[in-house]
Formats: sequence, structure tokens, C-alpha cells
Amino acid sequence: MNAIETRDLTRYYGTLRAVNRLTLSVDREVFALLGPNGSGKTTTVLMLTTLLRPTEGSATVSGHDIVRDGEKVRRSLSYVPQDMAVDIKLTGRENVLLYARLYGIKNPKDRIDELLAMMQLTDRADDLVKTYSGGMRRRLELAQALVHEPEVLFLDEPTLGLDVAARSTIWEHITALKKGGMTIFVTTHYMDEADRFCDRVGIISKGTLLALDSPQTLKSRLGNDVITARIDGEFKDPDLEGVKLFSFSNNEASFLTEKGREALPHLADAFTKTGVIVRSLALREPTLDDVFLHTVGKVEEPMGFDQTKFRTMLRRRK
Amino acid sequence: MRGVVYYIERDLLRWIRGKVNVVSSLAMPAAWLIFVGLALPIKFTDNYLDFITPGILVMTMLSAGLSGGTLLMFDKILGFLNKFLALPSPREDILFGKILFTSLRGLIQSTIILVIAVLIGATIYSPVQYGFTYLILFLFGMLLSAFSTTLALFLEDHDSYAAVNAMISMPLFFTSSALMPYSVMPSWLRFVASLNPLSFAIDAIRAVNTGALPIQQIVSLVVLCILITGISTQVFRRMTVQI
Repeated sequence: MNAIETRDLTRYYGTLRAVNRLTLSVDREVFALLGPNGSGKTTTVLMLTTLLRPTEGSATVSGHDIVRDGEKVRRSLSYVPQDMAVDIKLTGRENVLLYARLYGIKNPKDRIDELLAMMQLTDRADDLVKTYSGGMRRRLELAQALVHEPEVLFLDEPTLGLDVAARSTIWEHITALKKGGMTIFVTTHYMDEADRFCDRVGIISKGTLLALDSPQTLKSRLGNDVITARIDGEFKDPDLEGVKLFSFSNNEASFLTEKGREALPHLADAFTKTGVIVRSLALREPTLDDVFLHTVGKVEEPMGFDQTKFRTMLRRRK
Repeated sequence: MRGVVYYIERDLLRWIRGKVNVVSSLAMPAAWLIFVGLALPIKFTDNYLDFITPGILVMTMLSAGLSGGTLLMFDKILGFLNKFLALPSPREDILFGKILFTSLRGLIQSTIILVIAVLIGATIYSPVQYGFTYLILFLFGMLLSAFSTTLALFLEDHDSYAAVNAMISMPLFFTSSALMPYSVMPSWLRFVASLNPLSFAIDAIRAVNTGALPIQQIVSLVVLCILITGISTQVFRRMTVQI
């Protein structure tokens, strides 16, 4: 039995199809769902955490059906939304205590001490959360989420708005939890993080799962080399054999090729012939960003702009 | 139902630690009590303070109850609600916690107003009379907080919630029996006031103060309370597990 199992999971908002026949198995790994804004990542997480009913299809978490056995599902999972929802007028300890009690933990005091120590918050445990940094607040949320030792952990954009050091700390914790046998399902925009820390990634666009594999496999499937050209002038695809254009924006064109070193001069020549000025040419290995752009293509911002989310972001900037 | 207690404790701690809030919500009813209760030249009674105190107590519950919806509203906006909904403890606990906390907070504020009233010369009643006064205030508070919490579930943002609140709170107060007895009201106001739930609570407290037991008003409040809380629960269930 896999920790998360979905079968043709589908969700409509009115006539808009937010998630389209998603079939997925995740077990004892760090799995990342990647996708542009409005692609259905959060909708998927909301369905799996029983906050939203699927329109069609089914899913189980720890073997429990998400529609029929909601309470058992919630008992085996934890959900940390992206909003950073910790009570700033409560101390760190009080924040965790609330969850320990709501989960009905016996001996909450010992468990809380243990978790605060694990998240390196012991020194500050009795300070108001108001005085915590973003990274500390996120670690506090992890402590809350781990209080009942869940089998599955859902993290929506766990490193959003954190500085580099705080991000890597969060990922260290996530990796440690996976080693302990936990299944971790994250959504993220940060491709480099998904590449470094996730065992498998799924790329979703407009509700449809387009790619699903380990970052390494996805990258190698793309080809050996990526050439990025910064140009001036009217861009036209030079259409060379074995050199495939997969993205162009802001005067930067990216090509896939098997033999990058040989392709470089050809590409430069081709550009010069069409009267385009080449500012720079770079040869590199494919990254998950390239996989993403190649899979999803250039996607427009969806129309439904989320006022609430925008406000939350503005608040965070202060 | 243990969850209810934990949710109440959370809101209580957050309220007490937001010191400005605790004091500012008392300013309005205290001002009414002192500046209107003591200063208005009234002919129909020689102790206007005793007459207006039940009205001001109910007014305190009214503003406490109507502002209670913001708690759920902000939990919804800031992402707390989703975290709580993903917990195995019964989801309705969140709602009942909010309604009970809002009523409890109203009672605490009313107590302070009552103390001020007594300090500036209002009559002191027996413990039994105060017991009934608190029961009536509590029922009224439950009614109001269930209503405002339901409103918060329906409305998308805090601005529209505040606008609706401002729209209903003053008219409700002025069309009740808070400021004058039915005998001196114009007939149209007498009719409106007799249907206003604020009047149920105010009249009931005045009756208690004269030594009577206002069964009819208390029953009306209980029925309204059950009705609105029932609707609120249904709305909450529908809104939180979106089908």
C-alpha cells in the first residue's frame, strides 16, 4: 500500500477544470508537484487533505479513502499551507501545545520539548512568535505538524519568502523526516530546490500531469546540452538540424542539442546570416528549469487572480 | 467537544494580549452610560441611569457579538482555518469555539460596564437577579455571535463584513427599547421595537430588575439562539467541505 494513491482525481470549479484525471502514487519519498500559478497544485493538496471534495475520481492517504474516511485520513497526515499561519501573540510553545491538545497527544509536554529541540527552537520557545524570523516561524509550523507523528506530510510552498539559509534548513529537516520513513508531498515554484532535494517530481499544467519522474531522469531525457543565446534584433528560429528551440523570452533563446560544442559555431553563423546580433552564447547541462519550460511551454498568467493570496504576500513584505 | 475549550483558550490568550483592543471596545458603551445615562434630561423616570443600564449592557453584547465574526474571517484569510480543518478533531468545534468565545468575551466586557454603572450610582440588585441578567446576556450574545460568524462565512473580505456590521448595529440599537420605554415611543417605533431581538433582551433584564421572571422573552431568545446556531452549523459544514 502506498502512502498516497490517486486515481483519475478530478476537480471542477464551475466549468473550469482545475485538476484533470490525476493518477499518482507516492510512497516514502519527497515528492514535489511543480507547476505554474493556477495549474492545480494547491487544489490537489486540498483534495488530498480532505479540505475539498473531488468532482470525480478517488484517492487514498495511508490506505484511507479521502471522501469516506475523512477523519482517519486527517489522523494520518499533516498539512502546512503556504500562508505561514502561526499565532504571533502566542509563544512558540503555546502554538505547538494547541496542536498537541487538538490531536489528543498524551504527555504533550515531553513531546513538545522534543519537537522544539528538533526544530532548534528550544532557546526561544517561551518568546512570543511576534519576535520570530520567517524561518523560525516555518520551523514552528513543522513542529506543529509533526506533533502526532504523521505518516504523510503535505507542505504547500514550504520555502516561500524565506532567505537562502532558512530554506536550506527547512530542506534539511524535510530530508531527515524522509529518512525516518515519512512520505512528504510538497508543492513548489523553486526548481533548483526540487532538483536537489526531491526524489521524484511531477509537472502539472492546467490541471494535467505532463511529466513524472526523478529530476535526473527528466533532465537526461531532455538531451545532453542546453545552449542559451542572448540576442538583439528580430528573432527567427535558425532551424538547424539537431538544435531544437524550446523557449524564447526577453531576447533569450534556449536550444536543446546532443552535441553542444559543435552546435555553438553553427548557431552563431546562422544568427549572423539572419542579421541578428548575438550578445552571448552559453553552453550548459539541462536543469529542471529547462525541463519545466520544455514541458509546460510559455504559460500565460491565469485570469482568476487571487486577491487573498496577493494580500498575504504584501503583508509578508513588511 | 474538548477541542472547543482549546480553541476558546487560543482566542482568549490572543485577545487579552492585544491590550488596545480590550480597552477600546469598552469606550463606546462606557461613554453612553456616563454621558447619556447621567446627563440626559428625562421626564419619564427620575433614575434614568437604572433605566438605561440594561440597554447599555445589551449594547455591549451587541458590539462584542457583531465583531466576533472577524475572528473566523481572519482565521479564514490568514490560513489558520485550513490548518484547523485538516485536523482530526471535529470541525464543528472550530465554530462552537468562536461562538462561545465571542459570547464569553461579551460577558466579561458587560461585567466591567456593570461595575462602572454601579460606581456611578446604579441600583445594586440581588445575586439571583444578576444571575438571570447574565443568562439573558449570554443567550443574546450566543445569538449575535452565531449570526456574525455565519455572516463571516458568507462574505469574502473584511471590508464588506465591517460595512454590513456598521449598517446594522446602530439601527438595531436605536429601534430597540434601550433608550426609552414603549409608552413614550411614537406608535411606528413601538411596533418596530417590539419585534427587535435587542428589546427581548433589554425588556427581560428590566423585568428581572423589578423582580419578575420574563419567561416569554427568555424562551424567545432560546428559540432564536437554537435556530441561528443551527443555521450557522449547516452553513459552516457546507462552506468548509466544499462539494
